[in-house]
Amino acid sequence: MMKLQFDWRSRLSRFRVWALSFRGGITLLCLVGLLLVPLTGREYLARIVITAMILTIFAASWDLLAGFAGQVSFGHAAFFGISGYVTAAFVKFVGAPWFLAIFIGTGWAVVFSLLIGIPCLRLKGPYLALGTLAFALILYNLFLTGTWLGGTEGISALPNIGSVFVEFYIMAAFMVASLIIMRAIVDSRLGTILKAIRDDEVGADAAGINTTVYKLVAFMVSGLFAGISGALFVLDITAVNPAVYQPLYSFYAIIMASIGGIATIYGSIVGSFLFTLLSEFLRPLAAASLLIFATLLILIIRFSEEGVMNPFLEHVRDLWDKIRGR
Amino acid sequence: MEEILIFGTIQGALLALLALGFSLVYGVGGLLNLAHGAFFLITAYIVYWTIHLLTSIPGLSYYPLVFGIAAVVGLSSVVTIGAVTYLGLMKPLQKSHIGVVLVTFAMAFFFEQFVKFVGDPKTHYIVPVVPGTVTLLGITFPAQLLALVFGSVILVTLVTLFISKSTIGKSIRAVSQDPEAAELVGINTDMVMMTSVMISALLVGFAAVLYAPGNYIAPRIGWGYLLLAFSVTIFGGMGSIPGSILGAYVMGYATTLTDYLISPSFSQIVPLIVILVMLLVRPQGLLGKKRLQ
Repeated sequence: MMKLQFDWRSRLSRFRVWALSFRGGITLLCLVGLLLVPLTGREYLARIVITAMILTIFAASWDLLAGFAGQVSFGHAAFFGISGYVTAAFVKFVGAPWFLAIFIGTGWAVVFSLLIGIPCLRLKGPYLALGTLAFALILYNLFLTGTWLGGTEGISALPNIGSVFVEFYIMAAFMVASLIIMRAIVDSRLGTILKAIRDDEVGADAAGINTTVYKLVAFMVSGLFAGISGALFVLDITAVNPAVYQPLYSFYAIIMASIGGIATIYGSIVGSFLFTLLSEFLRPLAAASLLIFATLLILIIRFSEEGVMNPFLEHVRDLWDKIRGR
Repeated sequence: MEEILIFGTIQGALLALLALGFSLVYGVGGLLNLAHGAFFLITAYIVYWTIHLLTSIPGLSYYPLVFGIAAVVGLSSVVTIGAVTYLGLMKPLQKSHIGVVLVTFAMAFFFEQFVKFVGDPKTHYIVPVVPGTVTLLGITFPAQLLALVFGSVILVTLVTLFISKSTIGKSIRAVSQDPEAAELVGINTDMVMMTSVMISALLVGFAAVLYAPGNYIAPRIGWGYLLLAFSVTIFGGMGSIPGSILGAYVMGYATTLTDYLISPSFSQIVPLIVILVMLLVRPQGLLGKKRLQ
C-alpha cells in the first residue's frame, strides 16, 4: 500500500517537472485550449475542430509509416476508406453501436494494410508510392463502378453519435490517445528499429533485424490508425461514398504531415489544424480562396523543408529563455 | 478488329506524347513531376482563351490562323512554365525526393484552381482545327485524330533523334546514367535537367494542342492525364524512352480492347491492374534498365 502511494507521488512530481518544461507546458496549454473550445458554445467552430482532429490522426498515421519507417505511401486513402465503409455498413445494415463499428472497421483496415503491404514491400521509393497509389485507385474504381454497399451514392443517413459537443470530446479523446500511443511506439524499441530500417536497410538487415517483418508491422500500425481516423470521419459526417478512396485524401495526409514536419508525429497536429482552419477561414473569399490556399501551400513546401512546427517552436523557446532571463 | 487497330493507334499516339516527357524527367533527374497533367490543362486553357480573345477581333475570321497563333502562345507559355517550375520549385527541393513530389502536387492543385478562378468551373469546347471526318478501313472518325497520330509520330521521332544525336541529348543521357560523373566532366547538370523539363512540357503541350480540340476541357482533367502518363511510364519502365513509347502503344491497344470486349467503365481499372501486376512481377517495367538495389 505504501509502495503504491510512493509510486504515485513520484509520478506526480515527474509530471510536474514535465509540465513546467518548455515542451510539456506548450502541450498542456494546447490541450487545455482544445478542451475549452466547446465551452464557447459555437457549434460551427466545434465542427471545424472535429474535422481537424480526425485528420490529425490520419496525417500522423502517414507520418509513422513514411517519416519513421521510410515507406512512402501514396495510397493511405485505401485504409481510410475501407474502414469508413465497413464502419458505415455495420452501423447502417447490422445496427451495431458506433464504438463497436469503429473496432470492426479498424480491424478491416489492418487486414487490408497486411494485404497491400505484403506485395508492395518488394517495391522501393517511387515504385512503392505508385504501387500503393494503384491499390487505392483500384478500390476507388471498384466502389465507383460496383453496386455493393450503395454503389456510387454510398451509404448515407447514419445516426449521429450525439450532440456536437459530446462528439467533440469523444473525438478529442480518440485523438489524444492515438497520438500518445503513436509517440510511444516511435520512442520504443520498435521505433528505433523502424528508424534503423529507414536510414540503412542493408545495415539493419546485416544487424540481424528481419526488415520484412518490421516493415509489415509498420504498415499494420499505420493502417490501424488510418482506419481509426477513417471510421471517425464517417461517423462525423454520417455518410460515406467512393470519394473517400480518391488520391486527394492520400495527398491531404502527406501535405498535412509535411506542413507540420515529417518524422515528428506531433507535427501532424500543427499541419492539420493549420490546413483545416486556413481552408475554412479563406472560404468567405469564394473562388479566390482555393487559389490563395494553393499558393500558400507552394510557399510553405518551398521555404520550410522541416515543416513549420519545429522552426517556430525554436523561436518561441528562444523567447521563453529570454523572458526567464537565461 | 479494325476499330481496335485504329482507335488503339490513336490512344497509343496520345499516350506516347504524354508519357515520353514524364519518363524523360524521371530518368534524368529522378524528379517525379505530379504537375505533368496540369501542364496539359494549362496549355488547353491558354489555347482556348487565346482563341476566344482573337475571334472577338473583327478582322480575324480565318480559323486555322487563329488556332495557329493560339497554339504558339500556348506552347511557349507551357515551356516557360516548365522552366520556371524547375528553377523556382524543383531545383531547390531536389535533395529530398518527397519535396519535389509535394511541391509539384501543390503546383498541379494551383493550376486547377487558377483555371477555375480566371475562367470558370464549367466545361468548354475547342472547335477542331482539322474539320470533317475520315473513313479508313470502313471506320469513320474525326480528322483531328489523324492529325494527332501524325503529330505524335513526328514529335516522338524528333525527340528520340534529338536525344540520341545532338550534343544536349548526349548530355541528357550522360546525366541520367551518372549525374556526379557528368558534372565532373563539365556538364551543367542543372541546365540539362531544365532542358528535359522543358522538352517534357513541350511534348505534353503538343498533346494538349492536338488532342484538346474536339474534346471537352474542364479544370479537373489534369489528374486523368497525369494518371495515364504514370501508368504508361510504370508499364514501359521508369526513365526508359523506348520503353515508354512501346508501353504507350501496348496500353493504347489494351484499353481499346477492354472497351470493346468488356465495357468502357471497366477499362479504367484494367490499366491499374496491369500496373499492379507489372510492379509485382517486373518492377523495372518492360524495357527499364535501372535495377532495384
